[in-house]
Formats: sequence, structure tokens, C-alpha cells
Amino acid sequence: MRDIITVAKFTMKEMMRRKSFIITTIIIMIVIVIGFNGPNIAKLFSNDNGEMLQGEKVLISDNENLYEGKLNELNQNDLEYKIEIENSTADEIKSKIQNNEIKAGIIIEKQGNDILFRYIVNDTMATMPENLNKELQKLYTTNQIEKLGLNEQKAKEILPEFQTSTEQTEEVKGNTVVIMIISILLFYAIYFCAYQVSSSITTEKTSKIMETLVTSTSPKTIVVGKTLGIGTGGLIQMLILVLTAVISAKLFLDPALLEIVLASTQVTPFVGVLMFVFFILGYFLFATLYAVTGSTVSKPEDIQAANTPVMLLTIVGFYIGQAVIQTPSGSLATFGTYFPLSSPFLMPFRVMMGLATTQEIILSLVILVVSIAVIAHIAIKIYSNAILNYGTKLNIKNLIKMYKTK
Amino acid sequence: MSLVLKNVSKNFGSKKAVNNISLTLDKPGVYGLLGTNGAGKTTTIRMLLGIIKKDKGEITWKGKEVDRKYVNFGYLPEERGVYPKTIIKNQLLYFAELKGMKKAEAEKSIKHWAKVLKVEEYLDMTAEKLSKGNQQKIQFMTAIIHNPELVVLDEPFSGLDPVNTELIKNVIIDLVKNKKYVIMSAHQMTTIEEFCSDILIMNRGKAVLQGNLKEIKDTYKVNRVEIDTNKDINKIIESLGLEIEIEKNNQYKIKIDNEEVAHELLDKVIANKIKVNKFEIQKPTLNDIFIEKVGG
Repeated sequence: MRDIITVAKFTMKEMMRRKSFIITTIIIMIVIVIGFNGPNIAKLFSNDNGEMLQGEKVLISDNENLYEGKLNELNQNDLEYKIEIENSTADEIKSKIQNNEIKAGIIIEKQGNDILFRYIVNDTMATMPENLNKELQKLYTTNQIEKLGLNEQKAKEILPEFQTSTEQTEEVKGNTVVIMIISILLFYAIYFCAYQVSSSITTEKTSKIMETLVTSTSPKTIVVGKTLGIGTGGLIQMLILVLTAVISAKLFLDPALLEIVLASTQVTPFVGVLMFVFFILGYFLFATLYAVTGSTVSKPEDIQAANTPVMLLTIVGFYIGQAVIQTPSGSLATFGTYFPLSSPFLMPFRVMMGLATTQEIILSLVILVVSIAVIAHIAIKIYSNAILNYGTKLNIKNLIKMYKTK
Repeated sequence: MSLVLKNVSKNFGSKKAVNNISLTLDKPGVYGLLGTNGAGKTTTIRMLLGIIKKDKGEITWKGKEVDRKYVNFGYLPEERGVYPKTIIKNQLLYFAELKGMKKAEAEKSIKHWAKVLKVEEYLDMTAEKLSKGNQQKIQFMTAIIHNPELVVLDEPFSGLDPVNTELIKNVIIDLVKNKKYVIMSAHQMTTIEEFCSDILIMNRGKAVLQGNLKEIKDTYKVNRVEIDTNKDINKIIESLGLEIEIEKNNQYKIKIDNEEVAHELLDKVIANKIKVNKFEIQKPTLNDIFIEKVGG
């Protein structure tokens, strides 16, 4: 046990001391801060002229009198800008914009059966404000309906607003998109941490330190210690990133919006603990698989090829998870819930969506733990024999032979 | 009795890597393990260190089956290796702690050996910044830092310059003085002759010769005379029907099969009023014996 802690401590310190680790963490932190400033940044680059026009004058020209003098009614609405009604040509509007007399202008013209709003503005990125467009359409329609002798109520009956809503066959809590995003983040966290086990072992093999190491402690201690060390390092990194996200959310996000996001994730303390447990178990499962591939490689350039089978398994597990989150019932859902390669990416989210029973959670955890024990047993045996193998490339046949070796 | 290997064998598939090897180290000193590449030396070392399991036989240390858990071994592998991006002091501490040392104790030992091996200035640097020779000295430190009872050194001098070779040699001499058991594998026969009282020569997994080096040599008859003169003596050598092995600046190494012919040669040289600077009748060197035994 003492040796496991020594290996874990050394591995974790070395991992966190690396420039790549520090730089990656800082970059992700920056991305998180930028991400939480998304709504603020979006406002800066917004194409919707509503914000830009705040407090400014907008000239509307109805040269063909299509609105029959009713355009003044627009100012009764609560728009953020002042409407001026005046018959003008496009050139007159342009010159007024250049002289800063108005911010934008609209010429209303009839084109066959259609009506065209010509929006004239200085800003190349700007489009006509959505609410003004809506108001103009509403005003025209109301006027035409009134001319037919219908009241507003009658008009609404003829032209109701059509809305849509979607319901799943099973009652699903939370926002699927938000849940999928969390699932993707969990996948990357597990994948990158587990992958580092492989590269750490390969480094020891290629730098020929392995022989000294295995005379100092047992291969089992090395595998377990390394897995624990990298896992702890990964957890600390995740903690730093989660803290950055929490602080950023509090500092930069609109409290009302934050409340909506939190409500849609359905992250209760129970789900939080469950996510943590599945992260740890998922990490151990993939880390032990990567320990095997790491130990089979003699040259750093071979690591990518050696890791491919495990990478494919990881991706298969992840996509099963994603497919089930989108279609939460059926045989794939049952399979994915218990299949150890996909359950870490899936089970916490089924719980979030309110679709998993306690029995399912327990059974899924038991299968995952047993799988880890079996894979770790095989991995340690292969690792013990493969680490001192240099030169010959190891294939599945060799690995099976190594497993059977005393 | 301390380290005993009794009829130890190891197969890799159908290949017999080590075949029925026995050896005994019953007193402190340096034991030489020799053999060509692929003779089974490294496999033997790995088995006695408990890195790989033997198929047959017995390996005991102080009467107990060898187990990494309680045997205090030190090992310098043939494959040189350090963590390239790790601070030297940190990796030395890591290995010392894995060998059961407390941090303070380990730091004291690191300080001591860094001074002895003249690497103090590198302790706070990463290994990749060090020369190969200095990296090798660091790895040598990892083998002895925890004061092991048995030290296995696989090619300890390969790649070292004469100054560093001398440094390591002095440390090995000190280890023996401090009653340590050392197993040394080397290709330089002069080094083995310098250090080892007992040797084992392996070829294709088998022991082809083993025992006390002096006793082994005593079983061999003289085979060479070395003579250094101030004039050319080729004609005298020819007249005696002898074969010159090496000739350089009137220094000759001549093959002989008995001592008498060597004395006859000396008499003739003196009779010709040629001055003799050196005259030595030699028995086969370890190099000769090695080549004879492994069929070089």
C-alpha cells in the first residue's frame, strides 16, 4: 500500500508539473470564461439592430400610402427607438443617415401582391429589427381586417398564432441538449485521463526506466499507483475547471439565465455523486485498458497505433450513450445501461432524465465494478510480461500468450 | 551461504533461454557473469532479482526463496534509463522511497552519493539536460542509494570515459570492502579479471565454465610469451618455428605450447646481444578462455 501511494504521488506530481498539463488547463479555463461571457459577447456582435437602435430615430416612409396614415400608431407601442413618419426617397434617407439625423430608414413599397420593407442603414452587418418587422406586419394586417368590418377577436380567430410542442413516449426531465453536452464533457474527461496512463507507461518503457522500476516494486503496484495518480491529477484538473465555471457563471452570467440552465440540467446532489462515481469507475475501466496498450509499445511513435483498438471501444461506448440519451427507451437503452463501456457515459444522464430505477443503477454499477476487476486482472498480467518486451511488436496472439504466462 | 541458484531454467516458447544454471555467492565480493549477446545473462539476472519467474530450479537468498518484498537488492540494468523530464533529485527520492527509505534518510544518502560520484550540481536539473555518462552515474546511484546487500551491475562501465570509469570502480571496491555482494556482467574481460574472484561463462543458456578465476586459469598451460627488445628478432622466432600473434615496434606476442621454448627464445636473443626490456611467459587470458569456451 505504501508503494502504491508513493507511485501515485510521484505520477500525479509529474503529471501536474508538465507544461502540457498546465497549458491545457489554462486554455480550457480561458475557454470556460469566454463561454460564460458568450451572451455578452454575442450582444457585441449582434446582427439584430434592436439594441443598436436603442434611443435612436428611425424614419419610415410610406410613399404609396399603403398604411393609410396609420403608421403613427407604431409610436404607441413600447419600441426602444423613436419612429418618424415622412415620405422620403432612398437618397434622402441615405443623406439623413450620413448627417446623423436618423440612424436608419425604411421605405415601404408594394411589389405585386407582396409588400417590401427596404431597410436602409450604415452598418453592413445590420438587419431590420425583428420586433419592428413584426409590428409593421401586424399593423398592416389589422388595418386590412378592420376594413373588412371584423373586430380584433374575430381576426385572431381567423389568423391564430400556430405553436408546436414535443412530447416523448416516456416522461423525460431536463434538457436533452444540456445533458448531452455534460455527457460529452464527461467522455472527454474520462478519455483524456485514461489516455495519459498509456502515455505515462510508454514513457517509462521507451526511456528504459522500466527495468529499474520493476526491481523496485511489483508491476501490480505500478499499474494501480499510476492509475490512481493520474486519476487524482485528472480530478484536481476537473475541480479547477468546475470551480472556474462556477465562478464565471456567478460573475458573468445573468442570474435569471443561470437559474434556467441549472434547472434544465437536473443536477441534484444525488446525481452529482453518481456522476462522480461513474467518472471514477469509467476512468478505471479505460485506464486499465490503456495500461495494456501502453505496455505493449517500445517506441513512442507506435503508441497511436497501439491505442487505436481501445480508442475505438471508447468511441463505441460513447456513441451508444449518446444514441440512448436521444432515444431513451428500447433494447439499445437496456444494453447501453449495463454495457460497461457505455454505462459511464449514460447512466448518470438516464438518472438526470428521471428514467433509471434504483435497481438499474445498482446493477449497472455492479457490472461496471466486476468488469473493472476482470480487466484489471488481465491488464496487470499482460503488463507484467509486456513491459520488459522490447523490439517485437505485440499482437493479440502475443498478448494472449503473455496472459497465460506464469 | 547467501545467494544460491540451483538448477535454474527458463524457456521462452520453445527457446531455452537459461538451461540448468547453478551458482553460489557465499562471501562478499564481485562475481563475474559472462557470455555473448543472447547467452542468457540478463534472463538469469532478471530471475534472481524476481522480475521474471523461473520455470525450474531454486533461487535463495540467505536460505529463503528470493522475493522482491524482503530482499534488499540494487540493480543497474544494461538498458540505461532515467525519466527524461523529471528533476534528478525527485527521481532518486522516488526510487529510494520505493526501496523503503524514509524521505530524510533518502535525502542524506542522495547527498552523500552525489558527492562521491561528482553529480551534486545536476541534482536540481531534469535528466534530459545531462550527458549520457552523467545519466549513467545517476542510474548507478539508484542501484546503491538504499545501501543494498546485493548489487547487480549489468555492464556498469559501458559508455563511460576513463575518469568516470575510475569513479565507479572505486565505488565497487568500497562496496566489497563494506561486505556487499556484487554480481557484475561485462564484456570487457580486463574489468572482470580486475574485480572478480569467481566467474560463470554462459553460452546459449548453459554454463560452459564456472568457478574461481585463479583456479580456472591454473588448469590452463602457458600459451603465450611476450617479449620487448631493442632490435628485430623475427629470424630467431622463425628459427624456433614459432608463430607471432602480434608484432609492433619490436614488441612481440608469440604463441607457445610450453615454457621451455620461451626460455630457449630468451637465451637466443641474449646470445645475439639484443637487449630485452620485457620478457613474460603468460597463461591464457580470460579473453582467450572466453573465446575458447563460447566458440568465438
